[in-house]
Amino acid sequence: MVISEDTRAAIEREIGKYPQRRGALLPALHLVQQEHGFVSPDSMRELAGIFELLPVEVMEVVHFYNMFHDRPRGRHQVHVCTNLPCSLRGARGLMRQLESHLGIHAGETTADGRISLGHEECLGACAYAPMLRIGETYHENLDAEQAKRLLDGLE
Amino acid sequence: MASIRVDDHELEVEEGRTLLQALDDAGLLMNGVDVPHYCWHPKLAIDGSCRLCQVEIEGFPKLQIACNTPVKDGMVVRTQTEAVRRAREGVMELLLINHPLDCPICDQAGECKLQDYAFEYGVGQSRTREPRRALKKSVDLGPTIVFDQERCILCRRCVRFCREVPKTGELGVFNRGDQSVIETFPGSELDNPYSMNVADICPVGALTTKDFRFKIRVWFLEDVPGVCTGCAAGCNVWLGTANNKVYRYVPRRNDAVNETWICDHGRMTYQQIGSADRIAHPALRGEDGILRAASLDDALAEAAARLRRVLDATGPGALGVVASPHASNEDLAVLRSLVDALAVEGAALAVRQGDSDEILVQAEKAANATGARALGFGDPAALLERLRGGALEALLVLGHDLLDPALLGEGDALDGVGSVILLDSHHSPLERAAHVVLPTRHAAEKFGTLTNHAGRVQRVRPAVEPAWAAWSEGELLARLGAALGLPDFDGKFDPRAVSRALGERAPAFDGVDWDSVGDEGLPLKQGGA
Amino acid sequence: MGLTVPYVTSYLSEHFADDAYATLDGYRARGGYEAAQQALRTSPEDLIELVKESGLQGRGGAGFSTGLKWSFMPTDGGKPKYLVCNADESEPGSFKDRILLERAPHKVLEGILIGAWATGSEKTFIYVRGEYAFPARQLQRAVDEAYAAGILGAKVLGSDFAHDVVIMRGAGAYICGEETGLLESLEGRKGQPRKKPPFPAQYGAFGMPSTVNNVETFCHVPHIVANGSEWFRGFGTEKSPGTTIFGVSGHVVRPGLYELPLGTPLEEIVFEHAQGVPNGRTVKGVIPGGMSMPILPASQLDVPMANEHLRERKTMLGTGGVMVMDETTCMVRAGCVITYFFRDESCGQCTQCREGTGWLHKIMERIERGAGTPDDLDILLDVAGKMEGQTICAFADAAAWPVQGLMRHFREDFEEHVRQRKCPFPESFEL
Ligand SMILES: Cc1cc2nc3c(=O)[nH]c(=O)nc-3n(C[C@H](O)[C@H](O)[C@H](O)COP(=O)(O)O)c2cc1C
Ligand code: SF4
Ligand code: SF4
Ligand code: SF4
Ligand code: FES
Ligand code: FES
Repeated sequence: MVISEDTRAAIEREIGKYPQRRGALLPALHLVQQEHGFVSPDSMRELAGIFELLPVEVMEVVHFYNMFHDRPRGRHQVHVCTNLPCSLRGARGLMRQLESHLGIHAGETTADGRISLGHEECLGACAYAPMLRIGETYHENLDAEQAKRLLDGLE
Repeated sequence: MASIRVDDHELEVEEGRTLLQALDDAGLLMNGVDVPHYCWHPKLAIDGSCRLCQVEIEGFPKLQIACNTPVKDGMVVRTQTEAVRRAREGVMELLLINHPLDCPICDQAGECKLQDYAFEYGVGQSRTREPRRALKKSVDLGPTIVFDQERCILCRRCVRFCREVPKTGELGVFNRGDQSVIETFPGSELDNPYSMNVADICPVGALTTKDFRFKIRVWFLEDVPGVCTGCAAGCNVWLGTANNKVYRYVPRRNDAVNETWICDHGRMTYQQIGSADRIAHPALRGEDGILRAASLDDALAEAAARLRRVLDATGPGALGVVASPHASNEDLAVLRSLVDALAVEGAALAVRQGDSDEILVQAEKAANATGARALGFGDPAALLERLRGGALEALLVLGHDLLDPALLGEGDALDGVGSVILLDSHHSPLERAAHVVLPTRHAAEKFGTLTNHAGRVQRVRPAVEPAWAAWSEGELLARLGAALGLPDFDGKFDPRAVSRALGERAPAFDGVDWDSVGDEGLPLKQGGA
Repeated sequence: MGLTVPYVTSYLSEHFADDAYATLDGYRARGGYEAAQQALRTSPEDLIELVKESGLQGRGGAGFSTGLKWSFMPTDGGKPKYLVCNADESEPGSFKDRILLERAPHKVLEGILIGAWATGSEKTFIYVRGEYAFPARQLQRAVDEAYAAGILGAKVLGSDFAHDVVIMRGAGAYICGEETGLLESLEGRKGQPRKKPPFPAQYGAFGMPSTVNNVETFCHVPHIVANGSEWFRGFGTEKSPGTTIFGVSGHVVRPGLYELPLGTPLEEIVFEHAQGVPNGRTVKGVIPGGMSMPILPASQLDVPMANEHLRERKTMLGTGGVMVMDETTCMVRAGCVITYFFRDESCGQCTQCREGTGWLHKIMERIERGAGTPDDLDILLDVAGKMEGQTICAFADAAAWPVQGLMRHFREDFEEHVRQRKCPFPESFEL
């Protein structure tokens, strides 16, 4: 069993909120990802069991959503918004600076497994561009120096 | 009922059907009314995603997809307008931008709906200059199927099939947008008893069966309608033939029998037709106990002599007769005549049993057990008892289903029988006990009718001619009757005439003969079987 | 953390500067939940009639009459009915729902309660886009407070009406903002929009009759109930009453949120409120309503921001996300960003959308690289035309329209790229 008892209990609580078990699949995937950092095929198999689905159906869902990952990633997920309003205000330049600062390309993880850098579509912060998201937290109105300091501060 | 008009056709349609279903019900779809479609399949849930089936409906500002639009009384539909033509052309061009142009090496060429529709509804060639999507070629999906991701047009028929029919759901669509691909869960395979149907329903050459891949170009095949002989379901198939050889079975749609599916096991039974273990000539066991090839006349004479000896010495009670569920109704009618003429009692039917499922597969592993029972061949228990008790001096056996473990098994129970006359198509351990062996034809090699488990009478016709000596059971038995000097036996066998006369012998067959059942079959008359 | 409050406020956002407004006490101190009390004393039919009379149009992008939508819900009492609050806000350029969730979660809940009573729904699912962690927390806190105070649950505000609210978080897919994609996602599936029929009012969330409304749409409702439809019609235009919260981004001095009546001229928003383009530059084009909406050139900024006027300029209000681009902007680059987004976010079911979004993007990129040919321009328009009006949901239209808008007003930018075999806008924003 790869999904812990605690997470299983939390999943059951989520299931109770929906008229059909399956309604809680996205919440459950969030919970599993919180626990493991990603959703492994083994987790998918166990979730399939919990939700009375086929593993392939769980996998389809994992692959459909940007926020779910089927393999391990860096300890910190840094996402720079590169959609149009942010790009108009220098998001692409920021991205390039962060890429060279970390020595990786968008879509990659630093060798020490500290940071995964990625671009993202509009995050609803267009007036405060450029911006990035580290995990669940938004950082807005950034310049390159601030952004680099932010990344340097990550464990 | 709703009255609708589609182009020039006035239709009365059941309420609740969609337009494509209505056209399909009326037999008009792609047969009078052309509404090309990819994702819709008559036996799968509606998907509505390929958008090829759009038509113009009066009162709707936009084109509507025919596959998901319910009919309404008074609906007026046009399928060949300029707007429809443009929509189809749009779908075709967009599908082709990422499709590899490898028709010359694609196994589907000749029955590819992309090729066909591109020709009929497309712009000829896509104007794309962009590199095509590079994906996996020749993915081994499991024991039966190979997948070419690049050719896939994502109609999702295969995905729905696996979820809805065998309910194994091996396939999924991963990723989204133009990165979408069909895959299996890591480490698992497409492996279910109906897996090969995905190759039939795949409109393009993305899914192909390992069995048929690269064997022959489909345009060399002639499709002959026939029936699978793998079990009592009697699934309708097309026998793909060329060079006097059957290359494959594919399902032939029959909504009353197999819808549009066949099981993998049944599909592979085509291999039995030309297989190396066919009995290829009559044979006689010599004084030395060795079975040797013989002429048909000699074999028949010997068979008649042996039977006659027993009948004269002990009487019909010493003769056992076992009917084959593989023989046609017509073959068995001749056997019935013979049995009656010889006054043999307790002629039985032996049927090999196997697994069954809720979908198609029946436990009786032969195509005509029901027909045999309708002709009075009954349970073999009593006969087996007489056999084991040593009461039988001669046995006339059709087929080798007696070897089923629940019946004779592969034991030596026949060793004590003085004369065993075997009519069979394939070698089996039963030949060890046979004194005369007469080679028979496969259902794919003769005219006849077969009665499936539900009592539906379906016809077969010769798709190939055996390259060796083999006769239908009916013909062999007619000749045997003549050799025995029985009245009414002139040694001739005309299966279609026998078929017409079946009703006289068994009322259930009244009016359900070879000619009248057509290629879709007809049920036995009530109270018959 | 959290958005800056709107620079211009009206009834929706007037108390946003007050942090306490996000709490139950603060909200009640400003008259919160009084409209809901009043609604519970009104018959559902009369409420629906009131909302119809108010002329409130959905603020999720399509602008459909809210009262009319509510009236589609069956009243035969057979099956449980659900309300769905669409808080998936992912339309690039839009961030108005976010501020409502962050600053006025109880207003969202109050609107939901009124809608639930009017439609006879027993439960509301609020679908918050996955990335909105902080707004979701604010909302969850408000829901917890409301349950504790008897505002949600078995006896809503002391009445016999029972109502539950479940917050569900998405996981990063723009298409889950489309109402049937949202319903699929809510049911734990891929967010692939449903073919219609059936429509949500018959077969919605978990197969039950459902109504989907946008966050902001719900927020207008308590004000309509409290002040009446005539009052509401005092804002905005005759055909488009009320205010909306415009989000202004891109090349302006003061990007941010502005709550203004519908019908406010675009130039007023850009030049007065957002204070025009910085660095002494001029405007080249403005996308008026989120990225799905066709762009307008500088010459057309006089347009009043209401659908009846915007339609005449072949664009729409959408979500009111105003993106301003200055004179340096390369419209082919803008096209690259836009078509990339739609390529990335297409759910991939429909042929035209799956293949068309990719093709549009590839052509755009090639033109930007200087490898375009004259007929590429026509192909762009032709492909966009083939995608329009043909698919399961409006996403494909949303992907086609901006391309058509760019070609309508900025065809020279494309032609220059082809002619010069490179991008002629060295000062444009980086790609
Ligand atoms: C591609 C696409 C994306 C959409 N995204 C959103 C969204 O993020 N939020 C939203 O409220 N409506 C969105 N909509 C509109 C919804 O489908 C639906 O019309 C709306 O939620 C109804 O609410 P309303 O009537 O209150 O506006 C989107 C529509 C489409 C076609
Ligand atoms: S593999 Fe064939 S059947 Fe399956 S989705 Fe692709 S084209 Fe359709
Ligand atoms: S179910 Fe029986 S008849 Fe049908 S294909 Fe399979 S073996 Fe043949
Ligand atoms: S139009 Fe695009 S996003 Fe909408 S259902 Fe079709 S493929 Fe999906
Ligand atoms: S474009 Fe970056 S937050 Fe909207
Ligand atoms: S056949 Fe109707 S949409 Fe595919």
